[in-house]
Amino acid sequence: MKERLHQLQEAALSSLQQAADLKALQDVRVQFLGKKGTLTEVMKGMRELSADERPVIGSLVNTLKDKFETCFAARQAELQQQAIAAKMANEKIDVTLPGRCALKGSKHPVTLVTEEIVEIFSRLGFAVAEGPEIEQDFYNFEALNIPKDHPARDMQDTFYISEDLVLRTHTSPVQIRTMLKQQPPVRVIAPGTVYRRDSDLTHSPMFHQIEGFLVDKKVTFGDLKGVLIHFLREFFGEELEIRFRPSFFPFTEPSAEVDIACVICGGKGCRVCGGTGWLEILGSGMIDPAVFASVEYDAELYSGFAFGMGLERIAMLKYGVNDLRLFFENDLRFLRQF
Amino acid sequence: MIVTYNWLKEFVDFAYTPQELCDRLTMVGLEVDALDEIGGNLDSVIVSKLDSVDKHPDADKLTVCQVNNGTEVVQVVCGATNHKTGDLVALAQPGSVLPGDFKIKKSKIRGQVSMGMLCSEKELALSEESSGIMILPVGLTLGQPVFAALNRKDFQIEIGLTPNRPDCLSVVGVAREVAALCDKKLQLPIPQIRESLEPIAQQTSVVIEDTDYCPRYAARMIKGVKIGPSPDWLVRRLEAVGMRSINNVVDVTNYVMMELGHPLHAFDFKNLQDGRIVVRRAQEGETFTSLDNQEHTLTAEDLMICDGRRAVAMAGVMGGLNSEVQEDTETILLEAAYFKPTAIRRTSKRHGLHTESSHRFERGADIDMILVALDRAAGLIADLSNGSVLSGIIDNYPQPLQTPVLILHAEKVEKLLDIPVDCDTIQTLLESIGLQVVPGDSTTSLEITVPSFRPDLEREVDLIEEVARLYGYERIPATMPVGTVDACLPPLGQQVQKKLRDTMVAGGFSEAMNYSFYAEDSISKLSVTTEDPRSRQIKILNPLSEDQAVMRTSLLPSLLETVSRNLSYRSQDLRLFELRPVFLPQNNGQGICEKLSLTAVICGRRNPEGWAQSAAGVDFYDLKGIVEELFATINIADVFFDAIDTEPYLHPGKSCRMIHDRHFLGSIGEIHPQVLVEFAIDQPLFLLELDVEKLIEIAGAHAKFKPLSRYPDVIRDSALLLDSEVAAAQVLEIIQRSKVKYIENAVLFDLYTGKGIPQGKKSLAVRVRYRDLQKTLTEEEVSKAHNKLIKTLCRQLGAEIR
Repeated sequence: MKERLHQLQEAALSSLQQAADLKALQDVRVQFLGKKGTLTEVMKGMRELSADERPVIGSLVNTLKDKFETCFAARQAELQQQAIAAKMANEKIDVTLPGRCALKGSKHPVTLVTEEIVEIFSRLGFAVAEGPEIEQDFYNFEALNIPKDHPARDMQDTFYISEDLVLRTHTSPVQIRTMLKQQPPVRVIAPGTVYRRDSDLTHSPMFHQIEGFLVDKKVTFGDLKGVLIHFLREFFGEELEIRFRPSFFPFTEPSAEVDIACVICGGKGCRVCGGTGWLEILGSGMIDPAVFASVEYDAELYSGFAFGMGLERIAMLKYGVNDLRLFFENDLRFLRQF
Repeated sequence: MIVTYNWLKEFVDFAYTPQELCDRLTMVGLEVDALDEIGGNLDSVIVSKLDSVDKHPDADKLTVCQVNNGTEVVQVVCGATNHKTGDLVALAQPGSVLPGDFKIKKSKIRGQVSMGMLCSEKELALSEESSGIMILPVGLTLGQPVFAALNRKDFQIEIGLTPNRPDCLSVVGVAREVAALCDKKLQLPIPQIRESLEPIAQQTSVVIEDTDYCPRYAARMIKGVKIGPSPDWLVRRLEAVGMRSINNVVDVTNYVMMELGHPLHAFDFKNLQDGRIVVRRAQEGETFTSLDNQEHTLTAEDLMICDGRRAVAMAGVMGGLNSEVQEDTETILLEAAYFKPTAIRRTSKRHGLHTESSHRFERGADIDMILVALDRAAGLIADLSNGSVLSGIIDNYPQPLQTPVLILHAEKVEKLLDIPVDCDTIQTLLESIGLQVVPGDSTTSLEITVPSFRPDLEREVDLIEEVARLYGYERIPATMPVGTVDACLPPLGQQVQKKLRDTMVAGGFSEAMNYSFYAEDSISKLSVTTEDPRSRQIKILNPLSEDQAVMRTSLLPSLLETVSRNLSYRSQDLRLFELRPVFLPQNNGQGICEKLSLTAVICGRRNPEGWAQSAAGVDFYDLKGIVEELFATINIADVFFDAIDTEPYLHPGKSCRMIHDRHFLGSIGEIHPQVLVEFAIDQPLFLLELDVEKLIEIAGAHAKFKPLSRYPDVIRDSALLLDSEVAAAQVLEIIQRSKVKYIENAVLFDLYTGKGIPQGKKSLAVRVRYRDLQKTLTEEEVSKAHNKLIKTLCRQLGAEIR
């Protein structure tokens, strides 16, 4: 019996090794362990064994079964690998073919910079406000300390709807509307469309601005500098050089024009910065007491600053766009780049 | 405002280089727009001597010159006739670029080598006209650049002045700022004048009828002038600051205006009737011809300078043709006056006349400068024209203006600027620009007398700005504000807008931005009737062009133009949207309503062009899919798509309106072919229009969770044979409203007409998914439910099962 089992083991293991594929391997298993398998046949003869021999042979049979299963599993894994390898040998794609892409949409670059700027200021606690594009003379000019017949009106060529209604020339009227509704402290950012009666290579009759202002007790010119430097470095990069220089806006006093080192040439001087190395990027200043008077804020108690910037200009500098007109031509080849 | 470096130097002794000067001016609030070296690129045009001048062997009108340029002798061919051996000339060497981008090269002219060009004054932009080449004065060093040798080197500095600084509309004004910058004294020009014995009062008189518009009017008289060209130095000075020379008298008035900032006017006295001046308002309808030969119809608001009978100048704006200085003028009445800024501005605007003079008066001239300017100009005129100044000045100044005195508190300066400054520092800073400062009532206050040349300084805060400006913005430390922050989320409207934009972009759309105005007939191209509110467009009173004449009441016309343009650029597959306001009159006819609209158009292929994508074109349902996605994003359910009565610019059979709870939300559909013709679009185009204000009004705040079942689903498919007229929405609505149990959802997965389907019928296949939250459904439960559903559908829609 022992001898018989030994021979069986030799034969079965050799058959396993010789099985050429997974099906043949399965057949070997059936031949050996199946209902009519050779080992099954041998085990049928166990009944005839003596009580002494039975446990010995039983243990031998179990060892044999374990050995068979181990070899079977090993051979099966081997054959599976071979099968996969064989299958893959015939499977090859051209990975250089372009991907199956979904349609890609795009936000207008002006929308993109607006969202980015609003995001930066909202982290400083500025809330978003809006106002109408067709604006009353009062909000657009009078309340901002730009009386009729004042030369400051020449700074902004205006489209008129009627004697008293204009297409707003800046987003500053939102300051007035907000302050009339709300007592300090206020921190507001107001993006919007504005209009000026001017059209050439560098002027568009419609463009976009973002206005921001902050009013509270003890707001200083230093705070104006701090907030704007923070914003500009967040937007254009940590190392950006910034300068503040005196200027004039009727609704701020003192007023400051803010320049950044030219992002195109890095301050060495180029065509974009007119050789100066500086780019005018925003106008700002401490809110004029006359403006506080028109919204009935107490100028003795409160102070504040305001600033405004042109969004197309910011987008041009950020993305390197060299022609203002592209923003409103809506050529898909342009729009899809953003 | 243009000043020159050398001119500034006459009044203040500064040590800055031109570039340094510009940087400093910019940083003190006088922004320099441009710095140009006069003759800056012409250093290669050098003083040379003609060693010989010979006739060109092969050309009658040319000469061949041997030119000594200081280092060598070169040959130059010249076409002029006014030169001879021994003359000093201006040689433009090869490589020079003359004004007008004229490049000088080594060349051969009729076989003779020419190493450059001998220049005329015109070619060097030294004068407007010239005959022949420039013959330089003897004694100049050979090889020296001509501009330097002639002392013509200077720098034009163009300053972009803000309207609050009329004091800097003059060389002296800018020099005052420079003096403050470098802590030097400003040297004002001292008028040199020799009066004759004859008193002016015997010759003429001045009456001011309107002292509000004209608080002061002064005059001098110069007799025996001889009108002629101005001397070279004067012409050059005027040209350097952008003015043209006219004659020796007019040039002096302009020169003094540029130098001191005060506009002056010279009348030909013989043409002043009755020999006197009356300053009065015009009569309504009176006509007046200005120097530039334009006729103006005046109003009673216009202040005029008149003689005994008629207007001879539009005050502060422009002189009249009838009293202009001419070649035969012998006696000059010279005016220096002060006019009310708003009056001058209104007159200048009303008549469309913006002049150097009106520019200054409307910003505020210096009333105390009048007599200085008058003397300065009278002296110069007398010098240059051989005239004699009559003795005395007529100075009509009935009510001298008060000099404002302001109080400045040092603590206010500290509070606003956050810098440590004491009264002494402030005093030094303010005195440097000509303000008079004395101690105030308290130890921390100052009393400041504002000079008449700074009309912009009216309040304490204006002085604080001056302190900040002179202290230097760059020295003020940057801080972050402290205080309460009351920031909230953006308003719902902005959140909805952002979601709509994001969804459109995710759907493959690019955002367009068109102008808010378009041509008046744009809306009628959409076949919109004249009764439609969109035809009541808001007009711009002063549009730039007819194409930008009215405010948009629909975003569609501009988007159609955008499509047309893109198609012509050969972009074929277009998905564009615009989310911007339209401008409509309010329903009550009063006021204007700005309403946000989302308008999108789509045409071309559904998928991007590619080897793996189908080339099928888009249709109505692409847009409907987008709009369903939009509604889902902002949590709006139950939108009814109504095919009745759609917009006139849409294909009536392929369009619908979208209704939610009786609110009209917008439309989708194929653009009407007739409209496409109007916009030269030659392929089907589909439109989505949404009233964003309405969407914001009804948008749901957020999604609502529905519990998930842990049990398996069972699916039943049925094909319904329906009349073609039955809307798919009816099938889904019946399923939704039926009381049949266990329905999780239903999808229409096939639509079929054709072979096997009778005429007038269609087959619509519906897949219903059944599932229960509590248990696994049995076959019997599902069959029972589905049969009941099918029965309901058959009964209500007259459907049959295929």
